[in-house]
Amino acid sequence: MLSGFARAAEPELLEPEKAFRFAARLKDARSIEVIYQIAPGYYLYRDKFRFTLGPAGVKPGEPHFPAGKKHRDEFFGEVETYRNSLSVLLPFDLGDTGVPAIQLAAESQGCADIGVCYVPYEHKAELRLASLSSGATRSDAASGVLSGMGLETDDARVARVFEGGFWLAIASFFGFGLLLSFTPCVLPMVPILSSVIVGTGRPVTKARGFLLAAVYVLGMAMTYAVAGVTAGLSGALLSVVLQNPWVLGAFAAVFVALALAMFGFYELQLPVALQSRLADASNQFHGGHTAGMFVMGVLSALILGPCVAAPLAGALLYIGQSRDVVLGGSALFAMALGMGVPLLAIGASAGALMPKAGPWMETVKRFFGTLLLGVAIYLVSPFIPVSVQMGLWAALLIVTAIYLRAIDSLPAGAHGFQRFSKGIGIVALIAGLAYLVGALSGGRDILQPLSGLRVTALGTAPYEAPFQRINSSSELDDRIQAAPGRTVMLDFYADWCVSCKEMERYTFSDERVQARFREMTLLQADVTANNAEHTALLRRFRLFGPPGIVFFDREGREIQGLRVIGFQPADRFVAVLDQALNFRR
Amino acid sequence: MKTRTVVLFAVVAGLSAAAGVTYYMGSPGGGAAMAPDSVVERVLSARVADVKGGTQSLEQWRGQVLVVNYWATWCAPCREEIPGFVRLQERYGSRGLQFVGIAIDQPDKVAEFASEFRINYPLLLGGLETIELLRQAGNRAGVLPYTLVIDRKGNLVGRELGGLKEAKLERIIQPLL
Repeated sequence: MLSGFARAAEPELLEPEKAFRFAARLKDARSIEVIYQIAPGYYLYRDKFRFTLGPAGVKPGEPHFPAGKKHRDEFFGEVETYRNSLSVLLPFDLGDTGVPAIQLAAESQGCADIGVCYVPYEHKAELRLASLSSGATRSDAASGVLSGMGLETDDARVARVFEGGFWLAIASFFGFGLLLSFTPCVLPMVPILSSVIVGTGRPVTKARGFLLAAVYVLGMAMTYAVAGVTAGLSGALLSVVLQNPWVLGAFAAVFVALALAMFGFYELQLPVALQSRLADASNQFHGGHTAGMFVMGVLSALILGPCVAAPLAGALLYIGQSRDVVLGGSALFAMALGMGVPLLAIGASAGALMPKAGPWMETVKRFFGTLLLGVAIYLVSPFIPVSVQMGLWAALLIVTAIYLRAIDSLPAGAHGFQRFSKGIGIVALIAGLAYLVGALSGGRDILQPLSGLRVTALGTAPYEAPFQRINSSSELDDRIQAAPGRTVMLDFYADWCVSCKEMERYTFSDERVQARFREMTLLQADVTANNAEHTALLRRFRLFGPPGIVFFDREGREIQGLRVIGFQPADRFVAVLDQALNFRR
Repeated sequence: MKTRTVVLFAVVAGLSAAAGVTYYMGSPGGGAAMAPDSVVERVLSARVADVKGGTQSLEQWRGQVLVVNYWATWCAPCREEIPGFVRLQERYGSRGLQFVGIAIDQPDKVAEFASEFRINYPLLLGGLETIELLRQAGNRAGVLPYTLVIDRKGNLVGRELGGLKEAKLERIIQPLL
């Protein structure tokens, strides 16, 4: 019962700091530009903004708002709201305070179209006047009074780092890079680096190994520094680009390609012409090979970029807002150095940790190939449904397990490593099976793949409700007109929509529900393809996507406020159907 | 020697991967909602300010069918549902139904609203900790209106996000009375 409620109609809502993204910068010596990026389906009220400036003595002027959208509200009378983006100009008067910086506290309040409101939220920013000439400001997208105890995003956490001084920021970013080096993102660089160092054919000394690794890391760091400077110059654009599904998808494809190379499907090599040029160069002067390492470093930074996108986006976002080129470049340089520390360690140990290239390299390459595939799945995971994610993880884990000989029996005199690898294989196999079951049973939590089973214990055969398919807004109108005097139910469906399938399986199959279904016209819009018609249809009902069920009364008008969003158990759904059938305007 | 190196390598890589995963999992956003029982306990035991300047605890209504509505005067969908609550309180109050409104608002606004809409149930004033409680109770974005329905035995029977229609709420509470 309780789990039913926990899963019931709770639409996906953005956290306030994501629904209303805030930024502030000094426009000139007398005014601040306050910017809000408002997510689609959300809006802010004009009369709810409050701007206060500190320290004492700094006086805010009358803020200048652009024209918003006006409408009459039955409670509040004439109200003006903003959608998409909003830029407010706030003049200020320093008086004779002579302060080096102004603190801005901006309070805003907004709501979402689905009929909920956010509590007033306070954003804070510090704007440095001394650096006005270079356009630098500092802002802090972290939380404010009423939501101060809310969760901080990665972005905000990174942006906060800049509150301290320059060197503190540099040190923090170095530490941040170190932390990142322990993520699966940096690990794939290890075999690339080691194969380059080990595979030179020349005996590698520790010093030379370290030098090569250092050059490689330097190349990587320079690339990030360039990214930082670009962000400083171009504003927040870069971070937006980095979080775009297409970009992440493309990088996931690169990772898959790299993984396939690791598995030996093909040989990953520089073009022969380039290779021989490099070889010539390195024969002629000592630095040739070093230059190659530098280029490798640059390339790997580009490849790794999206993998560390969340923290990187935070840093770039801040740098973009501050337009502080020096700080931006230095901070990202330091971060890349931090990320390079383990690589340096491997380089320095060239003699010790890295034996000559041999069959063992194959094992390691396959291991990293697997990791690369994992990273690819991780990259695209925000854009694909959980059940597909689970399916992918299941495939990866199970195939890996088979390669680790999880189901082959051990030879009698198996040595330690074989036993160890079989153990790992079995763990991978079981985890993979769990994910497979999760994917097939509609699990919705990637961390609890089997949670879907809890409600599936009573398996019933799927029930085919007599839905008529519609594909567009005009088709919907036709069908509603063709059913005069009947209550109409419109169900939005997509193949990837888990709760739609649960509704079909557990709720629509209930006899009480079916009895009521016979009294109404049932329409279903399958928006799996998500074409322009589908988008228009969803927009007409202000839905972002399935699940969503809308009802129309006997005159063909939508029954406002009677929507079902998300899974509903039969008991409650029957009540909703009764309400729809008995609705009289 | 070779085996040892590979094992060492695998262990180090595995540990790093685990650390990486832990780092990602540790980032915010993954927090699960509280169990329903502890939601009820936290809601009932919380001390909330009243309009007269004292504090109250919802403990005093334990054993009744309790509808706790989190709202504010500046929130249009909240204002919309309240007349329905007043009517339900009127109709079922004698059978043990108790509404309690917790406003995230200023006391004078709440008092004004209470008299204008003739609110016939207690109104209390929530603060920062109230929003935090809402988030933990499953309302992760911390939005209003939010309504919890608690039965006589202290079970959480409903949590409703967004405006609540009178008829729908009536259908939830009727079997509990």
